[in-house]
Amino acid sequence: MAIIELNKAKKTFGSGHKQVDAMKETDFTAEKGELIAIIGPSGSGKSTFLTIAGGLQSPSSGEIIINDQNLSNMNEKSRSKVRLKEIGFILQASNLVPFLTVDNQMKLLDNVKKDNMTKKELDKLYEDLGISDLRKKYPADLSGGERQRVAIAKALYSKPSIILADEPTASLDSERAYEVMELLKKETKSNDTTTIVVTHDIRLIDYCDKVYKMTDGILKLQEKQESEELKTS
Amino acid sequence: MFLAWNEIKKNKLRFTLIIGVLMLVSYLVFFLSGLATGLASLNREAVDKWDATAIVLNVESDKSLPQSSITTDELNTIKGKETAVLGQLNAIATSGELKQNISLFGINPDEFIMPEVTEGDVFTNENEVIASDTLQDDGFKIGDELALSSTEEKLTIVGFTDSARFNAAPVLYGELSTFQKVKFGEGSEENKDQINGIVIRGDDVESITTSNDDLEVIEAETFIENLPGYTEQSLTLNFMIYFLFAISSVIVAIFLYVLTVQKISMFGVMKAQGISNGYLSRSVVAQTFLLAVIGVVVGFGLTLLTGAFLPSAVPVAFDIPTMIIYGLVLIVVAILGAVFSVLTIVKIDPLKAIGG
Ligand SMILES: Nc1ncnc2c1ncn2[C@@H]1O[C@H](COP(=O)(O)OP(=O)(O)O)[C@@H](O)[C@H]1O
Ligand SMILES: [Mg+2]
Repeated sequence: MAIIELNKAKKTFGSGHKQVDAMKETDFTAEKGELIAIIGPSGSGKSTFLTIAGGLQSPSSGEIIINDQNLSNMNEKSRSKVRLKEIGFILQASNLVPFLTVDNQMKLLDNVKKDNMTKKELDKLYEDLGISDLRKKYPADLSGGERQRVAIAKALYSKPSIILADEPTASLDSERAYEVMELLKKETKSNDTTTIVVTHDIRLIDYCDKVYKMTDGILKLQEKQESEELKTS
Repeated sequence: MFLAWNEIKKNKLRFTLIIGVLMLVSYLVFFLSGLATGLASLNREAVDKWDATAIVLNVESDKSLPQSSITTDELNTIKGKETAVLGQLNAIATSGELKQNISLFGINPDEFIMPEVTEGDVFTNENEVIASDTLQDDGFKIGDELALSSTEEKLTIVGFTDSARFNAAPVLYGELSTFQKVKFGEGSEENKDQINGIVIRGDDVESITTSNDDLEVIEAETFIENLPGYTEQSLTLNFMIYFLFAISSVIVAIFLYVLTVQKISMFGVMKAQGISNGYLSRSVVAQTFLLAVIGVVVGFGLTLLTGAFLPSAVPVAFDIPTMIIYGLVLIVVAILGAVFSVLTIVKIDPLKAIGG
């Protein structure tokens, strides 16, 4: 079953002379348990795609359906509710609240949403991510890699159906980047979530089930052998 | 509360500063209110002690007790539950080195404006007086002979009473005849029905009437407001207090706004996550509430502490109910200051904050 669906979704910025087609008309679907990579050069429209898919902005035309909810005719308040319930964001820069400890980052979600992970599930998640010892620490006391792993924990904690990650490994060295991808893959499979990772690091696509390439606002599925070529080139 | 409290815990210095500012503002408000109350009672406490509904004065006196002159016969023209005659004059009392402006009240000891003594005895003879205990603070003692500026008569202090100041002067209570001797000297016999006004207790001011057109029934509060300088003084102080309310609102607004602007990207990230404007706004308001309550409570304590150490010459008097109301107003006003921040939060575009 498709958990997220984009039908003829298109995003245009500006008008007339200065018009930019950030994302041309796009059809896209993703299933449960899939780990999908979106690659492409800077400015090609990857973030635009991701934020539209996550209900952070509306498409200029076309529709977005997340877990059977059509976002097209929703206002920001309703979209915000869908985001809270269905989506976990992992961003390039840390998206942690500076004055909350790791544990309290999770507790904040308990304050605004029901049906998050149980204590046991969270313990296991911390274990998996190797951050069990960091519970009482503040973001400022963590290394970049640790922060990114906490951000992943936070995205997973609310048990979202979709995880959207925009260059989650950009601030990490390649070893850490591989670790993070490994973890995302593991969590995607064990929780049956759908994870879409935007990256321009071609070496990370090995971890993914499908690879899309974005070029000048056009999203195109890569065949396995095509992506192999991409890597070696 | 969760976000609000955790942020305060993490950024103690920053929030201590804000609490400090709120504390100083509330300290100032409380202190001014204490001063306003103190200066007001300096003028009115003797009148308040009568617990009267109204006072009848001569129309031509323009609501001024010393200027009013009537006779005890007028009692027949007045309808009211309980009456008390009152003669009053201002003078300077001297005893040795001590010199003080006083207000002499001539009364009938069996009427309701007769004060209870807190020390010493009541007057039983002519030229004996019960004095305001503020004179005691100035160094006057029981048994002191007072020479008055306007007469040869000498008055003797036989007792003291509290809450006895009228229009900033300590009161001396004596027999009506004592007052008449002081006022008319030789002619006191012919003028033994001369008084300044009649103080009346009744159910309400409407029930008190006089059939004499030359007399005027003045409600007690109106009478107080017409004491020289009273209204001007209380208006000035109240204006300062109201300005402080406005100022504290602006200060809180600016502080919170700066804090909020610094946190725009953090709020944006939380909004991207789906945390509602309502939750974030409530959190800012809750935080303001916490800061304001702490600031006001500390300011309150500090005011009372200062009050305890002030010399008695400083006319501060703390009226706790008024202070509680002012404290609540400060808290409400601080929360109004948070409105700007709430508007800012509502306007944050989560998309910009996460900067794609
Ligand atoms: N809010 C915006 N207003 C105008 N142009 C935008 C906006 N967001 C993105 N764009 C443009 O859309 C194109 C795609 O941007 P983006 O999706 O951020 O690319 P990527 O994430 O692949 O680097 C770029 O040309 C960018 O300048
Ligand atoms: Mg981007």
